Amino acid sequence: MPICPSCEMEFNTWDDLAEHFNFMANVKSNPSHVMWLNRNISTRRMEVHELADKLEEFFSTSEGLAIWIRSKFIEKFYGNTPHPFIVAMQNPTRGVLLGYVIEHQHFLKNWVKVLSSIVFKTDRDDVLQYELDNISVEFIGRNGRLSHYELLLRMGEAVGMPREKILSTPPLPSTQSAIRSWRNIAEKRTWLETMAAMHSLELVADRSLVKYGARLPYFNPEILSSDQYPQAVKDFLREGYEADISHAGTALKMVERYAKEMTEKVQIIVLKSFDAFSKYLLARLERGFEIEPSLIGRVVIYT
Amino acid sequence: MKIIVNGKEAGTKEKGCALCGATWGEYYDVIDGENLFFCCDYCALEFKNMVNEVKNRTRWSKIYELVINGNYYTGRTCIAKSEDKEYKFYVKFNDEAGIETFKELT
Repeated sequence: MPICPSCEMEFNTWDDLAEHFNFMANVKSNPSHVMWLNRNISTRRMEVHELADKLEEFFSTSEGLAIWIRSKFIEKFYGNTPHPFIVAMQNPTRGVLLGYVIEHQHFLKNWVKVLSSIVFKTDRDDVLQYELDNISVEFIGRNGRLSHYELLLRMGEAVGMPREKILSTPPLPSTQSAIRSWRNIAEKRTWLETMAAMHSLELVADRSLVKYGARLPYFNPEILSSDQYPQAVKDFLREGYEADISHAGTALKMVERYAKEMTEKVQIIVLKSFDAFSKYLLARLERGFEIEPSLIGRVVIYT
Repeated sequence: MKIIVNGKEAGTKEKGCALCGATWGEYYDVIDGENLFFCCDYCALEFKNMVNEVKNRTRWSKIYELVINGNYYTGRTCIAKSEDKEYKFYVKFNDEAGIETFKELT
């Protein structure tokens, strides 16, 4: 059953949903509906029948929900105009890496809190085990290996910022806004929607995305063998490079298995999470601008 | 004011929203004495805040041309022109259509 991805009203047909969008966007000029169309379908106004076809095509999960999430992630972050943070990560400077460290410490702390809400709510043992494993890897460390959180802080120290300074720097407003979005999902949505919203984001470092059409990797893998970067930088990047390919893939298969009648709700929440994530990635870069003002001239877009 | 959004002229119903270039919606606002088309009141407020910020920083009384590149995902890199002067900047808006980040570009 089609659901409006903006206001979540339910409809019987795609034509009905398109009529609703037409009214909300073109008669009411409702910002939320217009923004959703701009970000997901087109900035070009279209007739109701054409819009109905586009919406049906957009939400089609003919190849399965997990593939749908993967393809939408690629379109949004790795498509024709890759996200500027990912572009910056192809040759990351000290400013880019420190922006990553400072904002990501807040992301990671929130990450495990939100995953804990899945642990609290789920009635599935495999999900419980999966989330506890993920929390261990990300925040506690497991089997003698350092947590991603610790590796992140060491990367920051290696590029010249003391741990105390990193830990005492509050998140930028965009990071705060994104964190609010994810906490809102964790508080108000089912464990399944929360799981989809969060673990779809791990696709960002999934190096198999290139095989599915991503135009570039999360970072230039030559960094891992380069002498230009401190070992702690390589250790942090390598950990995500090796872990997230299994993290995201396993979680998305679970989401697909349990979604059943909730597919549309999961799709909508995943798109909301992507918007928050985009905002958050830009915050990493903007933190970099503060640390290294010349960075902005290298990453901004002119056409 | 001549407005170019991502390479295309904008600011009328036919050409698209003065901030994002979209042709959805129907919202008008008078800015710098001109009735401009926007897809929604958010874009109108963001545009107005951006123009005011540029005028405050440059002390220009009027902007004759505004070139806007980018979107919600990337932030916007812009060039404002007034007579023979040019002012380049990067802007990103917050959830309330206010300016969250504004950086002058050289």
